[in-house]
Amino acid sequence: MSTTTDVNVPSPTPPGTPRVPLGQRLQGLGGNARQYGIFGALVVIILLFQVLTDGKLLLANNVAALFQQNAYVMILAIGMVMVIVAGHIDLSVGSVVAFVGGVVAVTMRDPIGLPWIAAVLVGLAVGAMVGAWQGFWVAYVGIPAFIVTLAGMLVFRGLALVIVGETLAGLPPAFIRISKGSLPPWLNYVGNMDGVTLVIGALAVAAIVLTQVRARRSLRRHDLHVEALGLFVTKLAAIAVGIGILTVILSFSAGGTPIVLVIVGVLVVAYSFLMGRTVFGRHIYAIGGNRSAAALSGVSTRRVDFWIFVNMGLLAGVAAIVTTARAGAAIAAAGQNFELDAIAACFIGGAAVTGGIGRVSGAIVGALIMGVLNMGLSILSVDPAWQMAIKGFVLLLAVAFDLLNKRRAGTQ
Amino acid sequence: MTEATRTPLLSMRGISKRFGGVEALVGVDLEVHRGEVVALVGDNAAGKSTLAKMVAGVLTPDAGLIEIDGVPVTIPTPAAAHALGVATVFQELALCDNLDVTSNLFLGRELRDGRGARDDERMEQVARQILRDLTSRIPTVRVPLSHLSAGQRQAVAIARTLIGSPRLVVLDEPTASLSVAQTAEVLVHIEGLRDLGLGVVLISHNMTDVRSVADRVEVLRHGRNNGSFDARSTGYEHIIAAITGASRAATPRPVPLRS
Ligand SMILES: Nc1ncnc2c1ncn2[C@@H]1O[C@H](COP(=O)(O)OP(=O)(O)OP(=O)(O)O)[C@@H](O)[C@H]1O
Ligand SMILES: [Mg+2]
Repeated sequence: MSTTTDVNVPSPTPPGTPRVPLGQRLQGLGGNARQYGIFGALVVIILLFQVLTDGKLLLANNVAALFQQNAYVMILAIGMVMVIVAGHIDLSVGSVVAFVGGVVAVTMRDPIGLPWIAAVLVGLAVGAMVGAWQGFWVAYVGIPAFIVTLAGMLVFRGLALVIVGETLAGLPPAFIRISKGSLPPWLNYVGNMDGVTLVIGALAVAAIVLTQVRARRSLRRHDLHVEALGLFVTKLAAIAVGIGILTVILSFSAGGTPIVLVIVGVLVVAYSFLMGRTVFGRHIYAIGGNRSAAALSGVSTRRVDFWIFVNMGLLAGVAAIVTTARAGAAIAAAGQNFELDAIAACFIGGAAVTGGIGRVSGAIVGALIMGVLNMGLSILSVDPAWQMAIKGFVLLLAVAFDLLNKRRAGTQ
Repeated sequence: MTEATRTPLLSMRGISKRFGGVEALVGVDLEVHRGEVVALVGDNAAGKSTLAKMVAGVLTPDAGLIEIDGVPVTIPTPAAAHALGVATVFQELALCDNLDVTSNLFLGRELRDGRGARDDERMEQVARQILRDLTSRIPTVRVPLSHLSAGQRQAVAIARTLIGSPRLVVLDEPTASLSVAQTAEVLVHIEGLRDLGLGVVLISHNMTDVRSVADRVEVLRHGRNNGSFDARSTGYEHIIAAITGASRAATPRPVPLRS
């Protein structure tokens, strides 16, 4: 323990006093203990299915497919966790995915025939506009988000049907690559391993280690509390090993790094920063914790609410692009139950139903837990009906476990 | 007093506010000078918090004029109040249980570094400094508010008034859940604010506290001014009489439920 530098910790326990029980020590880690728990659950589930499927789960192409199949959940869960932390909910994202997917397909096809990049930008803009529409009703009119987005669920599903009819196929191959493609092999292969993937993995590890070490050094320089060195090193080593394994597996896959993985990675980094390190993020947590206190403290709660929904719309637009590219066509029935997947990912990932608690990383891990379950059960050829039931149980268990833990720790 | 001849720091004149059928305030006047502690007292529902919330930018008056340093102002939002140099401890404390002490101290007024990014490190340093000065019994500034006792939470709420060098501090029952020792500390703190030349409005039901720290006592009754007293020279019973509106305080009698 590096108690010598913990200036703000009361007084270090004098020698000979009873050791602090583990539960309390974990609690001392704050929200981190919970975060570690969720990561642990993911690792356990991966190992479980790795054994159950005789090692098929972590075959290179399965891992690549895992990301390609679940990118939409992760993208939506990032926006949803912000919505949930602020104490709202968004039931419309599935319908918005179908609607924006239709818009993107229509703009790319004749008679409009815009280039695919332009169509993507239109899709993002329309998504943000949908979000602004819903944000207006929630933030400035004061209608509960549950109602606004329930209406949105119907409205945008209806509009999707109007725009798309049944199916709009024949989309440009360059657009479809967004979901089905991988980064081109710019670099040589190392044996059978894709060089680009290895370089990206190495850069990711380096970037994480560097930022963490710098953050820690800066905390120490300002004489602020840092976590114990042993824990810090263990954490970094675990992250490095995790990314390392993922990198090596992916580098053996048919295409190397899926493009959607890059998209998700960039979003995770950007939104973790937004939620954890910016004033806007702090205000989202404040609003979810105590809306009236935030307002009394000078937080403009309406503006924050509004932008949370604009952002959710924007991310629904990204998910729409990914989903449409993956299907190779716009389908009016696309995005069915996507809102439920995203919401479940957030709650499995430790978000609180009452708002105020939740993290982007947690939501991503929640999405991965569900994705691994899906893939593992599919490899085991479990009936989809049973898959659904099992996922339901996992959601219930995850939240119940979290609650029990919290009670035992004595918080709230 | 020489301050009395100068422009008051805060001047509220003819303030009225109604909530539906309730006349919470009717033509209320209030003046606070620099280096002066004004106690605002009155029965429950007299309108004290309503008046405080107007200075804090939470409520706007239906009628009346507010001047700060002689300049007529409207205070439409809490952020505007903060910009005018008004810091408030609300009766309901207004803290977020899910955030840690530092985040609560700076909520709505986060510090930014040169590039405009949130400056967590400087905020934490300032937070530790402030809490050390207040000798509050708060173990670390990283602890979430949900882990603190009522008294510790109140200490955090009071500490918030030290952020951003205010001119006027409004304290709505700041010692309601504090121990004797901590109450004494808050009173010393209020005297410190006065010595720094700040104006202080102290809302309290505790006459001992009021008389030990206030310069002037303003009484509100049924939303109206009901007397202004020099805190040191006026007898206890005069203030109580103004609060209750009678020289002989009515004794509540038990109401028989069955005859
Ligand atoms: N937001 C509101 N809506 C409706 N009525 C209100 C509101 N706020 C205050 N009131 C009414 O205004 C009157 C004055 O309330 P206020 O909170 O100012 O009293 P107070 O003097 O602070 O009392 P206490 O000592 O109990 O805190 C009360 O009759 C109250 O019911
Ligand atoms: Mg009150």
